[in-house]
Amino acid sequence: MRFLQLVVFRLGDEEYALEITFAQEIIRIPERITKMPYLPSYIEGMIDLRGKAIPVIDLKERFGVEQSERGVDSRLLILNIENVGIGIIVDDVSEVIKVEEQSIERLNAELSGLGSSKVQGVVRIDERLILLLNGLNFRAEVLTSR
Amino acid sequence: MIALAGVEACKIMAEFMADLIPGGVLFGVVERDTFVWVKTSESFTLDIFQVGKRLKEDTTTVQAMRNKKVLTQNIPRTVYGMRVVIVSIPIIDEKGDVWGAFTIAFPKLHPVAAAFGDFAPILAEMFPEGAYIYMSDLTKIAYAQASGKFDMPSIAVGYELRETDIAYRTLQTKKPIIEEIDASKYGQPLTIANFPLYDDEHKNLVATLGIVTPKKTAVTLREMSINLESSLEGIAAAIEELSASATEIHTNEGELNTDIKGIINVSEEINEVSAFIKEIADETKMLGLNAAIEAARAGDAGRGFGVVAEEIRKLSAQSKSTVPRIKQLTDTIKQKVEEASRKSNISLDASQGQAAASEEISASIEEITSMSMELSNLAKTL
Repeated sequence: MRFLQLVVFRLGDEEYALEITFAQEIIRIPERITKMPYLPSYIEGMIDLRGKAIPVIDLKERFGVEQSERGVDSRLLILNIENVGIGIIVDDVSEVIKVEEQSIERLNAELSGLGSSKVQGVVRIDERLILLLNGLNFRAEVLTSR
Repeated sequence: MIALAGVEACKIMAEFMADLIPGGVLFGVVERDTFVWVKTSESFTLDIFQVGKRLKEDTTTVQAMRNKKVLTQNIPRTVYGMRVVIVSIPIIDEKGDVWGAFTIAFPKLHPVAAAFGDFAPILAEMFPEGAYIYMSDLTKIAYAQASGKFDMPSIAVGYELRETDIAYRTLQTKKPIIEEIDASKYGQPLTIANFPLYDDEHKNLVATLGIVTPKKTAVTLREMSINLESSLEGIAAAIEELSASATEIHTNEGELNTDIKGIINVSEEINEVSAFIKEIADETKMLGLNAAIEAARAGDAGRGFGVVAEEIRKLSAQSKSTVPRIKQLTDTIKQKVEEASRKSNISLDASQGQAAASEEISASIEEITSMSMELSNLAKTL
């Protein structure tokens, strides 16, 4: 039986997850975010993380989730997808969970296609539905302008 | 002087006049030293005025005959038992010698005594609580008049004056005496006024006039005003105590309010501490999550570390879960304390009202006290 470890985070009322292997670390949102010219508005800017410049993406804006104030629980989740660092602003990083691979419900191809293959499947824990994002597609998605 | 021939005319006139003169009169004709004719009025007699009675040497009549002139004399009480005026007119025969005398005797009465029967019954009824009016001669009560409301049966006509009696003292001092007598002597408080009375020439003290009036109302009034004063003093003291305790309540409530504010501050401080706990829990959680990520990246080598990371996360979740509970508790504290503060403010207001009211009462009582003092002074003069 194969297990997957997932990092679960919140955007508005929804919970999302990414495979833990794509995560590098969780930090507080830095006060200083360097704005970048000529970039879509969902890219907040760049930060310096221990000598590496990392773009910061407002994922809620990118996903079209209703905007809400950043609170005390808002965090910057630093991802490392194929050695490219991306920071995404999330409302809260809830937990790290371990699930059986088979328990992940795959979305059918049509639905998956509509969402540009961002969502890979759904994890069901008790009453909660956690949307599992496709890490590999994710990088391309968030960094591709529409 | 009267001629012997005119004596018969005098007798006839005397017969008519005897009962016309108020107070009475005695007429007598004396030959040498013996009464030969006597006319007495119904209201007045003397033992000596009897036909056949012989007169002594020192009598007015004998003196008049001896001196051959009209003689008028006041006879003191000691001689006939009452004061008498005697007028003796010598009777002269044809030769000019003294044959005898025509003697007239009047009872000597002080004008007040004479009028006593007229004025006393009216005057006695003129006092609101009645009065007892009396006249004494030098030794005893001679006239007395009770009123419908008040009588003194123990001091009736004929009562012999004693040293302690006011009439006796008036006779001794020859001065008017007005005295209040408490209830111990006659069973009720009295005012007795007694004035000395002198005879016509104002030379000799002959009698006293006294008026006794009951003082029940005045004394009752005085006692009541004294009682009123002492109960007012009691009330004033009680009000003062009340006022003092109202002030104490006021002070206590003020202190209570300060304490309550202190409690609110403390519960806010607790909230601050609990916010700090939340911060630490958040930090710990992030640490736990990062540790988990690090452990996952380390693969199999990081498995043990992963367990630790999991425990850290659980711990942080536990500490964080205390925060809302603390908040709930401090909120409850705040709510209860605010309620207590509100109530204490109400009692503060009430105690202020109480203090004001007791001050007002004190002022009123002071006014009533001064009025009762005036009343007491007034009652003393009644």
